[in-house]
Amino acid sequence: MSVTRRQLLWAGTGIGVAGLLAACSGGSEDSEATGGSGAAGKPRTGGTLRVGALGHASAITRDPHGTQANESDYLILALLFDTLTIPGAETNTAPRLAASWEPSADLKTWTFKIAKGAAFHDGTPVTADDVVWSLKRLRNTPSGAARLPGIQAKNISAKGTDAVVVVSDYANADFPLMTRFSSFVMKKDTKDADIDKAPGTGPFKLDWFRGGNARLVRNDKWYGPDVHLDAIEVTMFETPQAMTNALLAGQIDLASNAGAVAARTAESRKDVQVLRRPDDMAMPIVMRTAKGSPFADERVREAMRLVVDREAMVKQVLSGYGTVANDILGTGDPDYAKDIPQRKRDLTKAKQLLRDAGFDLSKTYELVTTEDISGLADSATLFANQAREAGIKIKVVKQESGAFWEKTWKAGDFYTTYWGTNDSVVFFASKTMVSEAGQNEAGWDDAGFDAAYRKVIGSSDPKKRAAALKELQQIEHDRSGYLLWGMADGIDLAAAKVQNLPRLPGYGRVQLEGVWLR
Amino acid sequence: MLIALLALVFAAVELLPGDAASASSERGESAADLAERRHLLGLDRPVWARFAHWMTALPAGDLGTSARGQKVTELLADPLPNTLVLAVSAFVITVVLSLLLGCWAASRPGRLTDRIISHTSTAAFAVPEFVVSAVLLLVLSLWTGWLPAVTVTGGDGRPATWTMLIMPVLALVIPQTGWNSRVVRGALADQASTPHVEAAHFDGLPPRRILLRHQLPGAIPAIATGIATSTGLLFGGAVVVETLFNYPGIGSLLAGAVAARDTPLIAGVVMCAGAVISLVLLAADLIRHATLGVRA
Repeated sequence: MSVTRRQLLWAGTGIGVAGLLAACSGGSEDSEATGGSGAAGKPRTGGTLRVGALGHASAITRDPHGTQANESDYLILALLFDTLTIPGAETNTAPRLAASWEPSADLKTWTFKIAKGAAFHDGTPVTADDVVWSLKRLRNTPSGAARLPGIQAKNISAKGTDAVVVVSDYANADFPLMTRFSSFVMKKDTKDADIDKAPGTGPFKLDWFRGGNARLVRNDKWYGPDVHLDAIEVTMFETPQAMTNALLAGQIDLASNAGAVAARTAESRKDVQVLRRPDDMAMPIVMRTAKGSPFADERVREAMRLVVDREAMVKQVLSGYGTVANDILGTGDPDYAKDIPQRKRDLTKAKQLLRDAGFDLSKTYELVTTEDISGLADSATLFANQAREAGIKIKVVKQESGAFWEKTWKAGDFYTTYWGTNDSVVFFASKTMVSEAGQNEAGWDDAGFDAAYRKVIGSSDPKKRAAALKELQQIEHDRSGYLLWGMADGIDLAAAKVQNLPRLPGYGRVQLEGVWLR
Repeated sequence: MLIALLALVFAAVELLPGDAASASSERGESAADLAERRHLLGLDRPVWARFAHWMTALPAGDLGTSARGQKVTELLADPLPNTLVLAVSAFVITVVLSLLLGCWAASRPGRLTDRIISHTSTAAFAVPEFVVSAVLLLVLSLWTGWLPAVTVTGGDGRPATWTMLIMPVLALVIPQTGWNSRVVRGALADQASTPHVEAAHFDGLPPRRILLRHQLPGAIPAIATGIATSTGLLFGGAVVVETLFNYPGIGSLLAGAVAARDTPLIAGVVMCAGAVISLVLLAADLIRHATLGVRA
């Protein structure tokens, strides 16, 4: 089971909706609490939202189950099609096309009920057969095993016309979480050649698509809450710079994921909202824990975590658009252990730990990084400078992206990585930390952690689960192979008139159906 | 020439670190998956074999398939006409402006106008497109709000309004006019010292008539060559300018294709740009031949 890099960046899909649902159903506290585009009165219906999103003309795709390298493509697909579930603010998994779900006692069989009134854009109702066909299609893509872990295509079946049964190879209390990602539902037997015109079930219908740009119009018959916008126009931008210029010149109303540089440019403009979605991106440093690595001793790993100056990292690497983290991945999770004390810089203790562990301070250690995302290589350089103050010599090695993922990732002793799915502690545990995980980046094998993980996914009792989840995070904080110094905010820029924008991390930003224009 | 250029493109992409398979690889993709994709993309074959395969399909108008499995011809269908509109407008304006400025300067040799034009044009040519673009953007759009900052396209794949063309065209025209007005001025100066022009002066013909009837025809071969050279620079500049102004042309397509190590797509773009440049060079040659032929 492996989840692909890009999918993970998108794993936050839909996260904003729970907040929007709450806002729409009368409780506008959610958006007020987050400030900025707060709920200024009653939502007004009408208007066209012009959105800019990043993408490359050479990488355009229309397939909801394909690999969407372009954010612009993913945004369009997420507005046209629905996934079974979506991330939420209060609970990690919230309903969408699946109105409810129910596990068997052994947590292996999951039954999803399709939302009442759900229909495709051409008017035909969504049936269990459509969902089964779509999930099987998804499972049969090259990365299908990663997208629906533990589920074989033959174990997906229809029960009546409005329920779908999925049988997992093992007990998995968190399976519905996986259906948030790319379980887009299409009509049964849609041919690959017809995907460009395939009707979705989402809040918007396709008016036109051309060269990565599209116009979408409101689906008045959507089964979800009221959609206020008449239309959304998506323009694809090759660079964040051009996208920011378009926003400043008033040619678009929303620049999605514009980044810290754009935020600084726009900070002085009163007519532009700078929206920060916390817990958007993690850029941890990975230390190999397996034998033979200089970081095999857990005291060395703790020393490294004590060496880093987290405030300085956030300030310099992220231009201040981020928060300090505590070496536990999944900071956006409602169940994130906020009560574990924040680790702080302590050079004396770090030096002591290194001495105790017999760490060789005469050697120079290579920290491998890439320039895949902005700030990543800078984080390595700044950390190397900070480590020098504790007498540790670190040389930063920048690798070309392809070579990095082929050779260093999962194999190197010391490297930077990044993840966009920061709303689930269990997700990271199952994908990157449990000893048998396909993407065990640090080669970590910890019996205590594995046991805690099994308790979490194997228990349906919320109390037992919560206790196990706390234990799991404590172990991760104490001795995992990760040094997670901070979390980058996701940054969107918007015109003043845009209201009720998604606030949650990751691809929460693609859930724009609750937006309205003042 | 074009074949050699395309061979060079294949070789250059080969030399870049990584390939189309690794550039589009996914986190968690196994070595076996990667090898399979490499095989599907034909990357396990030697570069000359891929080049030969691509070249043999070319006469049938087949530019191959991109690393993402789309027909290169389809990928080019919208951006190529857009770039041609941009490049042709820039080219025409450059030609007209250079001729006007060059003649104006040449008609007042050594005077203030001549010096101003000469210095400004040198400066204009020396400034790279991205600097010109940045200044234009700041002044004409972000400060004054006169022009749209970027290009937004409609459902037909064309820029939503024609005003979106102004800044990208200007960003290309300014450096190229700098270059070409110097060429024009220089060629006219060369002609000024030829016997028949000097004779015309002694005959007391009006300077304007001498410039247009006697100097300019002789200068045309040199001017045509200079302007033809501009075509290549225009396409080069388009890569930069299109990205800055989000103009949906082959320049922005090329930028993404290089990042993705997408050899067939890069070769397709180069092929089209190369064909246009070759045509212009050919036209320049013909002009030179025709005009020299008259004189000979």
